[in-house]
Amino acid sequence: MNSVASKRLFQEYKHLTTDPPEGITAGPVTEDDLFVWEAMIQGPEGTPYEGGVFPAELKFPRDYPLMPPTMKFLCDIWHPNVYPNGNVCISILHAPGDDPNHYEQASERWSPIQSVEKILISVMSMIAEPNDESPANVDAARMWRERRTEFERRVKADVRRSLGL
Amino acid sequence: MAEAQSTINIPQILAVAVVGFLAIRWWLSKPSGPTQEPRSQRPRTVDVVKVEQVAAMFPQLDRRTIAWDLQRNGQNVQATTERVLAGRSLDNPPPSFQPPNLASAGTQAPAVGVSGAASQQGKVGGQAQQDLIARYNLQAKVSGKGKEAVPSEEAQRQRSAWSSDKAARADGLRRRREEMVLAARRKMEEKEGKGSAA
Repeated sequence: MNSVASKRLFQEYKHLTTDPPEGITAGPVTEDDLFVWEAMIQGPEGTPYEGGVFPAELKFPRDYPLMPPTMKFLCDIWHPNVYPNGNVCISILHAPGDDPNHYEQASERWSPIQSVEKILISVMSMIAEPNDESPANVDAARMWRERRTEFERRVKADVRRSLGL
Repeated sequence: MAEAQSTINIPQILAVAVVGFLAIRWWLSKPSGPTQEPRSQRPRTVDVVKVEQVAAMFPQLDRRTIAWDLQRNGQNVQATTERVLAGRSLDNPPPSFQPPNLASAGTQAPAVGVSGAASQQGKVGGQAQQDLIARYNLQAKVSGKGKEAVPSEEAQRQRSAWSSDKAARADGLRRRREEMVLAARRKMEEKEGKGSAA
Protein backbone atom coordinates (compact mmCIF):
# COMPACT_ATOMS: atom_id res chain seq x y z
CA MET A 1 0.00 0.00 0.00
CA ASN A 2 2.77 2.36 0.95
CA SER A 3 4.64 1.57 -2.16
CA VAL A 4 1.67 2.53 -4.32
CA ALA A 5 1.44 5.89 -2.62
CA SER A 6 5.20 6.42 -2.73
CA LYS A 7 5.44 5.48 -6.37
CA ARG A 8 2.66 7.78 -7.31
CA LEU A 9 4.09 10.66 -5.27
CA PHE A 10 7.50 10.15 -6.79
CA GLN A 11 5.99 10.19 -10.26
CA GLU A 12 4.13 13.40 -9.51
CA TYR A 13 7.30 14.94 -8.13
CA LYS A 14 9.13 14.06 -11.32
CA HIS A 15 6.38 15.50 -13.44
CA LEU A 16 6.24 18.72 -11.43
CA THR A 17 9.99 19.10 -11.70
CA THR A 18 10.32 18.58 -15.42
CA ASP A 19 7.15 20.37 -16.40
CA PRO A 20 6.16 22.75 -13.62
CA PRO A 21 3.06 24.89 -14.03
CA GLU A 22 3.68 28.63 -14.13
CA GLY A 23 4.26 30.07 -10.68
CA ILE A 24 4.37 26.76 -8.83
CA THR A 25 7.25 24.85 -7.27
CA ALA A 26 6.61 21.70 -5.31
CA GLY A 27 8.41 18.67 -4.02
CA PRO A 28 8.98 16.56 -0.94
CA VAL A 29 10.77 18.24 1.93
CA THR A 30 13.16 15.32 1.82
CA GLU A 31 13.00 12.31 -0.45
CA ASP A 32 13.29 10.04 2.56
CA ASP A 33 9.70 10.90 3.35
CA LEU A 34 7.63 11.38 0.24
CA PHE A 35 4.52 12.03 2.31
CA VAL A 36 5.42 15.58 3.34
CA TRP A 37 5.83 18.17 0.63
CA GLU A 38 6.51 21.82 0.52
CA ALA A 39 4.98 23.82 -2.27
CA MET A 40 5.34 27.43 -3.25
CA ILE A 41 2.62 29.30 -5.03
CA GLN A 42 3.03 32.66 -6.63
CA GLY A 43 0.35 35.23 -5.96
CA PRO A 44 -1.82 35.47 -9.09
CA GLU A 45 -1.34 38.59 -11.18
CA GLY A 46 -4.01 41.23 -11.08
CA THR A 47 -4.91 40.39 -7.50
CA PRO A 48 -3.68 41.96 -4.26
CA TYR A 49 -1.62 38.80 -3.79
CA GLU A 50 0.42 39.63 -6.91
CA GLY A 51 4.14 39.63 -6.28
CA GLY A 52 3.88 37.40 -3.24
CA VAL A 53 5.16 33.88 -2.82
CA PHE A 54 3.23 31.62 -0.50
CA PRO A 55 4.86 28.49 0.90
CA ALA A 56 2.59 25.67 1.98
CA GLU A 57 2.97 22.24 3.43
CA LEU A 58 1.18 19.26 1.96
CA LYS A 59 0.75 16.14 4.05
CA PHE A 60 -0.28 13.00 2.27
CA PRO A 61 -2.14 10.14 3.89
CA ARG A 62 -0.73 6.61 3.60
CA ASP A 63 -3.63 5.66 1.35
CA TYR A 64 -2.94 8.45 -1.14
CA PRO A 65 -4.24 8.79 -3.87
CA LEU A 66 -7.45 7.31 -2.51
CA MET A 67 -7.63 10.07 0.06
CA PRO A 68 -6.52 13.66 -0.46
CA PRO A 69 -3.62 15.39 1.28
CA THR A 70 -4.06 18.28 3.68
CA MET A 71 -2.59 21.62 2.80
CA LYS A 72 -1.44 24.32 5.15
CA PHE A 73 0.12 27.66 4.34
CA LEU A 74 3.32 28.28 6.23
CA CYS A 75 3.00 32.05 6.06
CA ASP A 76 0.40 34.62 6.95
CA ILE A 77 -2.18 34.73 4.25
CA TRP A 78 -5.29 36.79 4.80
CA HIS A 79 -7.86 35.05 2.70
CA PRO A 80 -11.51 34.04 3.17
CA ASN A 81 -10.80 30.39 2.40
CA VAL A 82 -7.68 29.93 4.51
CA TYR A 83 -8.07 29.31 8.22
CA PRO A 84 -6.10 31.66 10.44
CA ASN A 85 -3.78 28.75 11.22
CA GLY A 86 -2.98 28.33 7.53
CA ASN A 87 -5.14 25.32 6.66
CA VAL A 88 -6.65 25.56 3.23
CA CYS A 89 -10.35 24.94 2.76
CA ILE A 90 -11.05 23.96 -0.82
CA SER A 91 -13.34 21.32 -2.24
CA ILE A 92 -10.59 19.44 -4.10
CA LEU A 93 -9.01 18.62 -0.73
CA HIS A 94 -12.20 17.07 0.62
CA ALA A 95 -12.55 13.31 0.85
CA PRO A 96 -14.25 11.71 -2.14
CA GLY A 97 -17.96 11.11 -2.27
CA ASP A 98 -20.95 13.31 -1.88
CA ASP A 99 -20.88 16.28 0.39
CA PRO A 100 -23.09 15.56 3.39
CA ASN A 101 -24.09 19.22 3.33
CA HIS A 102 -24.80 19.21 -0.42
CA TYR A 103 -22.71 22.30 -1.00
CA GLU A 104 -20.24 20.65 -3.29
CA GLN A 105 -20.63 18.22 -6.10
CA ALA A 106 -18.75 14.96 -5.99
CA SER A 107 -16.87 16.01 -9.11
CA GLU A 108 -15.35 18.99 -7.29
CA ARG A 109 -14.03 16.88 -4.48
CA TRP A 110 -10.93 14.76 -4.30
CA SER A 111 -10.66 11.66 -6.42
CA PRO A 112 -7.62 9.62 -7.37
CA ILE A 113 -7.62 11.12 -10.86
CA GLN A 114 -6.75 14.48 -9.34
CA SER A 115 -3.13 15.31 -8.60
CA VAL A 116 -0.86 17.57 -6.62
CA GLU A 117 -0.57 19.76 -9.68
CA LYS A 118 -4.33 20.14 -9.91
CA ILE A 119 -4.57 20.94 -6.21
CA LEU A 120 -1.96 23.66 -6.50
CA ILE A 121 -3.58 25.14 -9.59
CA SER A 122 -6.96 25.08 -7.85
CA VAL A 123 -5.50 26.77 -4.81
CA MET A 124 -3.93 29.39 -7.03
CA SER A 125 -7.26 30.19 -8.60
CA MET A 126 -8.89 30.11 -5.18
CA ILE A 127 -6.41 32.77 -4.07
CA ALA A 128 -7.46 34.90 -7.03
CA GLU A 129 -11.16 34.31 -6.57
CA PRO A 130 -12.21 33.76 -2.98
CA ASN A 131 -15.38 31.83 -2.41
CA ASP A 132 -17.21 33.50 0.42
CA GLU A 133 -20.02 30.97 0.58
CA SER A 134 -18.13 28.80 3.02
CA PRO A 135 -15.52 31.03 4.60
CA ALA A 136 -12.74 29.49 6.64
CA ASN A 137 -11.62 32.85 7.94
CA VAL A 138 -14.84 34.64 8.80
CA ASP A 139 -13.18 37.97 9.53
CA ALA A 140 -11.29 37.95 6.26
CA ALA A 141 -14.45 37.01 4.40
CA ARG A 142 -16.39 39.85 5.97
CA MET A 143 -13.64 42.31 5.19
CA TRP A 144 -13.44 41.03 1.63
CA ARG A 145 -17.17 41.51 1.18
CA GLU A 146 -17.67 44.77 2.96
CA ARG A 147 -14.38 46.67 2.96
CA ARG A 148 -12.52 45.60 -0.16
CA THR A 149 -9.99 48.44 -0.13
CA GLU A 150 -8.96 47.67 3.43
CA PHE A 151 -8.76 43.99 2.56
CA GLU A 152 -6.45 44.67 -0.38
CA ARG A 153 -4.29 47.01 1.62
CA ARG A 154 -3.85 44.40 4.33
CA VAL A 155 -2.97 41.65 1.84
CA LYS A 156 -0.45 43.85 0.07
CA ALA A 157 1.19 44.78 3.36
CA ASP A 158 1.44 41.08 4.28
CA VAL A 159 3.02 40.27 0.92
CA ARG A 160 5.57 43.02 1.29
CA ARG A 161 6.45 41.96 4.80
CA SER A 162 6.77 38.32 3.78
CA LEU A 163 9.51 39.30 1.32
CA GLY A 164 11.46 40.96 4.10
CA LEU A 165 10.95 44.48 2.76
CA MET B 1 -16.47 -60.89 1.86
CA ALA B 2 -13.64 -58.58 1.03
CA GLU B 3 -15.75 -57.06 -1.72
CA ALA B 4 -18.71 -56.53 0.60
CA GLN B 5 -16.47 -54.92 3.16
CA SER B 6 -14.99 -52.47 0.76
CA THR B 7 -18.41 -51.34 -0.55
CA ILE B 8 -19.63 -50.77 2.97
CA ASN B 9 -16.47 -49.05 4.01
CA ILE B 10 -16.50 -46.18 1.57
CA PRO B 11 -19.74 -44.61 2.78
CA GLN B 12 -18.69 -45.40 6.33
CA ILE B 13 -15.40 -43.63 5.92
CA LEU B 14 -17.18 -40.69 4.36
CA ALA B 15 -19.65 -40.52 7.19
CA VAL B 16 -16.90 -40.67 9.76
CA ALA B 17 -15.02 -37.95 7.94
CA VAL B 18 -18.06 -35.68 7.80
CA VAL B 19 -18.99 -36.23 11.42
CA GLY B 20 -15.39 -35.80 12.46
CA PHE B 21 -15.08 -32.60 10.48
CA LEU B 22 -18.24 -31.17 12.00
CA ALA B 23 -17.13 -32.19 15.47
CA ILE B 24 -13.77 -30.53 15.06
CA ARG B 25 -15.36 -27.38 13.72
CA TRP B 26 -17.80 -27.24 16.55
CA TRP B 27 -15.05 -27.82 19.03
CA LEU B 28 -12.83 -25.15 17.49
CA SER B 29 -15.54 -22.54 17.21
CA LYS B 30 -16.77 -23.05 20.76
CA PRO B 31 -13.92 -21.37 22.60
CA SER B 32 -13.86 -18.45 20.18
CA GLY B 33 -17.49 -17.65 20.94
CA PRO B 34 -16.97 -16.12 24.37
CA THR B 35 -13.70 -14.42 23.42
CA GLN B 36 -15.34 -12.61 20.54
CA GLU B 37 -17.21 -10.21 22.75
CA PRO B 38 -14.28 -8.71 24.57
CA ARG B 39 -12.52 -8.50 21.24
CA SER B 40 -15.17 -6.26 19.75
CA GLN B 41 -14.76 -3.89 22.66
CA ARG B 42 -11.05 -3.95 22.53
CA PRO B 43 -10.20 -2.13 19.28
CA ARG B 44 -8.97 1.24 20.34
CA THR B 45 -8.10 2.08 16.78
CA VAL B 46 -10.92 4.11 15.31
CA ASP B 47 -12.11 4.58 11.79
CA VAL B 48 -10.41 7.87 11.05
CA VAL B 49 -12.33 8.34 7.83
CA LYS B 50 -15.62 8.28 9.67
CA VAL B 51 -14.33 10.57 12.38
CA GLU B 52 -13.18 13.00 9.72
CA GLN B 53 -16.57 12.83 8.04
CA VAL B 54 -18.28 13.93 11.21
CA ALA B 55 -15.55 16.45 12.00
CA ALA B 56 -16.01 18.02 8.58
CA MET B 57 -19.67 18.61 9.36
CA PHE B 58 -19.15 19.79 12.92
CA PRO B 59 -15.73 21.37 13.11
CA GLN B 60 -16.39 22.57 16.64
CA LEU B 61 -16.36 19.01 17.96
CA ASP B 62 -13.29 17.36 19.33
CA ARG B 63 -12.20 14.41 17.25
CA ARG B 64 -11.73 12.23 20.27
CA THR B 65 -15.32 12.90 21.35
CA ILE B 66 -16.53 11.99 17.88
CA ALA B 67 -14.46 8.81 17.90
CA TRP B 68 -15.89 7.86 21.26
CA ASP B 69 -19.47 8.32 20.13
CA LEU B 70 -18.80 6.38 16.93
CA GLN B 71 -17.18 3.61 18.89
CA ARG B 72 -20.20 3.28 21.11
CA ASN B 73 -22.83 3.30 18.41
CA GLY B 74 -21.02 0.83 16.19
CA GLN B 75 -19.31 3.32 13.84
CA ASN B 76 -22.62 4.76 12.71
CA VAL B 77 -21.91 8.19 11.23
CA GLN B 78 -25.60 8.82 10.65
CA ALA B 79 -26.47 8.25 14.31
CA THR B 80 -23.72 10.55 15.56
CA THR B 81 -24.72 13.24 13.08
CA GLU B 82 -28.35 13.05 14.11
CA ARG B 83 -27.44 13.15 17.71
CA VAL B 84 -25.48 16.38 17.25
CA LEU B 85 -28.16 17.90 15.03
CA ALA B 86 -30.81 17.09 17.61
CA GLY B 87 -28.90 19.27 20.03
CA ARG B 88 -27.87 16.45 22.32
CA SER B 89 -24.22 16.99 22.95
CA LEU B 90 -21.88 14.05 22.69
CA ASP B 91 -20.62 12.46 25.87
CA ASN B 92 -17.11 13.17 26.92
CA PRO B 93 -14.85 10.20 26.36
CA PRO B 94 -13.14 8.73 29.42
CA PRO B 95 -9.49 9.72 29.80
CA SER B 96 -8.50 6.12 29.08
CA PHE B 97 -9.92 6.42 25.56
CA GLN B 98 -6.88 7.39 23.54
CA PRO B 99 -7.15 5.90 20.08
CA PRO B 100 -3.59 5.65 18.79
CA ASN B 101 -4.35 6.34 15.16
CA LEU B 102 -6.39 9.42 15.94
CA ALA B 103 -3.54 11.33 17.44
CA SER B 104 -1.80 11.93 14.16
CA ALA B 105 -4.99 12.87 12.39
CA GLY B 106 -5.86 15.24 15.18
CA THR B 107 -2.71 17.27 15.00
CA GLN B 108 -2.84 17.97 11.31
CA ALA B 109 -6.58 18.39 11.19
CA PRO B 110 -7.78 21.92 10.74
CA ALA B 111 -8.38 23.78 13.95
CA VAL B 112 -11.62 24.88 12.49
CA GLY B 113 -13.69 26.27 15.33
CA VAL B 114 -14.79 29.69 14.20
CA SER B 115 -14.88 31.23 17.64
CA GLY B 116 -13.63 28.62 20.08
CA ALA B 117 -10.32 27.77 18.53
CA ALA B 118 -9.20 31.37 18.14
CA SER B 119 -6.57 31.17 20.84
CA GLN B 120 -5.21 27.97 19.40
CA GLN B 121 -5.00 29.54 15.97
CA GLY B 122 -3.11 32.49 17.34
CA LYS B 123 -0.44 30.18 18.61
CA VAL B 124 0.05 28.52 15.26
CA GLY B 125 0.02 31.87 13.52
CA GLY B 126 2.86 33.00 15.75
CA GLN B 127 5.37 30.66 14.23
CA ALA B 128 4.33 31.72 10.72
CA GLN B 129 5.35 35.31 11.34
CA GLN B 130 8.86 34.70 10.05
CA ASP B 131 9.38 36.16 6.59
CA LEU B 132 10.48 34.15 3.59
CA ILE B 133 14.00 35.55 3.57
CA ALA B 134 14.57 34.26 7.09
CA ARG B 135 12.72 31.06 6.41
CA TYR B 136 14.92 30.04 3.53
CA ASN B 137 18.12 31.59 4.91
CA LEU B 138 18.43 34.05 2.09
CA GLN B 139 19.79 36.95 4.14
CA ALA B 140 23.19 36.69 2.50
CA LYS B 141 21.70 36.71 -0.96
CA VAL B 142 19.60 39.82 -0.47
CA SER B 143 22.12 41.91 1.44
CA GLY B 144 23.57 43.01 -1.91
CA LYS B 145 20.45 45.17 -2.35
CA GLY B 146 19.24 44.02 -5.69
CA LYS B 147 22.68 43.19 -7.04
CA GLU B 148 22.28 39.44 -6.76
CA ALA B 149 22.92 37.77 -10.06
CA VAL B 150 19.88 36.94 -12.09
CA PRO B 151 20.32 33.34 -13.20
CA SER B 152 20.49 32.84 -16.93
CA GLU B 153 17.79 30.93 -18.70
CA GLU B 154 20.28 28.15 -19.28
CA ALA B 155 20.82 27.75 -15.56
CA GLN B 156 17.12 27.77 -14.90
CA ARG B 157 16.52 25.10 -17.47
CA GLN B 158 19.19 22.93 -15.88
CA ARG B 159 17.47 23.21 -12.54
CA SER B 160 14.22 21.92 -13.85
CA ALA B 161 15.91 18.94 -15.48
CA TRP B 162 15.30 15.64 -13.74
CA SER B 163 18.50 14.30 -12.28
CA SER B 164 19.00 10.66 -11.42
CA ASP B 165 20.88 11.71 -8.32
CA LYS B 166 18.79 12.23 -5.23
CA ALA B 167 20.98 14.95 -3.78
CA ALA B 168 21.04 16.84 -7.06
CA ARG B 169 17.27 16.73 -7.23
CA ALA B 170 16.93 18.04 -3.69
CA ASP B 171 19.42 20.75 -4.47
CA GLY B 172 17.59 21.72 -7.64
CA LEU B 173 14.31 21.96 -5.78
CA ARG B 174 15.85 24.08 -3.06
CA ARG B 175 17.35 26.43 -5.63
CA ARG B 176 14.11 26.77 -7.53
CA ARG B 177 12.38 27.66 -4.30
CA GLU B 178 15.01 30.22 -3.38
CA GLU B 179 14.95 31.70 -6.83
CA MET B 180 11.19 32.08 -6.63
CA VAL B 181 11.48 34.10 -3.42
CA LEU B 182 14.41 36.15 -4.67
CA ALA B 183 12.70 36.89 -7.97
CA ALA B 184 9.58 38.02 -6.17
CA ARG B 185 11.64 40.28 -3.96
CA ARG B 186 13.54 41.73 -6.92
CA LYS B 187 10.29 42.44 -8.69
CA MET B 188 8.77 44.08 -5.65
CA GLU B 189 11.86 46.22 -5.13
CA GLU B 190 11.81 47.27 -8.77
CA LYS B 191 8.16 48.16 -8.59
CA GLU B 192 8.70 50.21 -5.48
CA GLY B 193 11.73 51.90 -7.01
CA LYS B 194 9.60 52.95 -9.96
CA GLY B 195 6.85 54.07 -7.68
CA SER B 196 9.10 56.33 -5.67
CA ALA B 197 10.87 57.71 -8.76
CA ALA B 198 7.63 58.70 -10.42
